[in-house]
Amino acid sequence: MPGFIIVALIGAVLSGISLAVFAPYVTLRRISYMGEALSHIAFAGIAIALISGMNLTLGAWIFVSIVALLISWLSRKEKIQEANTITIFLSLSMALGIVLISLSKNYAFDLSSYLFGNVLLISISEVWALGILNVLNILFILIFYKELFYLSYNPEMAKVFRIRVGLIDHLFYLLLAANIVLNLKSAGIILVTAQLILPAVIAFNLAKKLGWIIVISVIAAIVSALIGFYLSFVLDIPTGATIVIVQAFIYALSFIFKRRK
Amino acid sequence: MIEFQEVQYHAGRITILKDINLTIPDGVFAAIIGPNGAGKSTLIKLLLGMEDPSEGKILIDNTPRDSWLKHNGFGYLPQREEYDRGFPATALDIVLMGIAGRIPWGKRVGDEYRERALKIMQDTGIKDKANSAIGNLSGGEFQRVMLSRAILSDSKYLILDEPEAGIDRHSVVNFFELLKELNDAGKTVITVSHDLHTLNKYCNFLICLNKTLHCHDHSELIDQQLIDRTFGEHSRLIEKDY
Repeated sequence: MPGFIIVALIGAVLSGISLAVFAPYVTLRRISYMGEALSHIAFAGIAIALISGMNLTLGAWIFVSIVALLISWLSRKEKIQEANTITIFLSLSMALGIVLISLSKNYAFDLSSYLFGNVLLISISEVWALGILNVLNILFILIFYKELFYLSYNPEMAKVFRIRVGLIDHLFYLLLAANIVLNLKSAGIILVTAQLILPAVIAFNLAKKLGWIIVISVIAAIVSALIGFYLSFVLDIPTGATIVIVQAFIYALSFIFKRRK
Repeated sequence: MIEFQEVQYHAGRITILKDINLTIPDGVFAAIIGPNGAGKSTLIKLLLGMEDPSEGKILIDNTPRDSWLKHNGFGYLPQREEYDRGFPATALDIVLMGIAGRIPWGKRVGDEYRERALKIMQDTGIKDKANSAIGNLSGGEFQRVMLSRAILSDSKYLILDEPEAGIDRHSVVNFFELLKELNDAGKTVITVSHDLHTLNKYCNFLICLNKTLHCHDHSELIDQQLIDRTFGEHSRLIEKDY
């Protein structure tokens, strides 16, 4: 097997794990639309990085993190509905991204790889970055397990009972932004959203305890990454899309076991 | 001791609370009564730090509210709690929320807290449901889970917003008996309630609210005159018949 294929396979697995760890929290907090919005908002971040000559991933992460924190802050302080705030920033970011890219002289930039993703283009340094991010994700969840649990249950009540959810909420969004941005190259803006939901809904069908839900979500992501990668290689079809189709198939299968639970 | 000094609260142009000057001494069993829209829940949210007053200040134990809240907390039972019935939590998990804020990051809730939580759940009559998923609890059962959580938080103040909502007469009496025991043990209990009949029996401090304060006193009795002042002239005191 060629070296770049092995790198891509490891990248696909690490990419799946990083999104699957966050997926149960995204689902429980009912912010799956936030995942979708942030991956679109990254478009403007990429455009700004492109214009300023900054590293694309770093530029996108900084931009997405700022917007994510701004959305969370505006919704709390100004009592604007979070869905409205997100829609405003989503439209603005997409518009800004399109204008900036049209002004950019960098015609060699392959925008489609960020829209639809191509795990085969992933570099060794990006695989390392995904590996480090996975370690950070796991540490974050282990250290703040009970805080994240009650933050997901009811943030307002968690605050009343003096659980320090404010700081953890900010860290959550910063890490979520990093996960979305680092996965754009392998999964693409469109498919990141699916990977932030499907492993979790599979796990919710199979387990009752949050700890097990996270474990099953990760296993579902690994299994679908391996099967999806193999199928895309054999059938010569796009890898990211194949992985998502495999996840959707496992989700359908999980209903059989849900009835027996 | 809790003090509201010249507190006003506006939502946009609408005045919800006006000129609130109120002192609640330690150790009382206080009831906040008033018609719908009188600002009872808002008064509680201001106290808990869930809302900020538009004007005026709130002191708790002679300390400004926000400073007090940095080191202390309230035992709180909300009128309704927003939660997803499919959320993967047991009744015991929700009770332990009352203590989770005191356990350092990275540490799990220890066995001693679990045992204390189960003891409280026994007192509130919900221990047999400790390992039930919250989605399988009835309204009354969940109410007792929330009360257990408030007690476990071990605050000297117990704040309840319409605790009798959704539970039957027998449970209401048991509920207030339990609150009375906690009050006798030294906790200051503050409850919003519409159940004037029960309040008359258990409460020794009355806060009558209808945007402004109509009385706050160690009242022995809720009488028709008081109801007229708080609810308007045409209200009648009707004992709740269960």
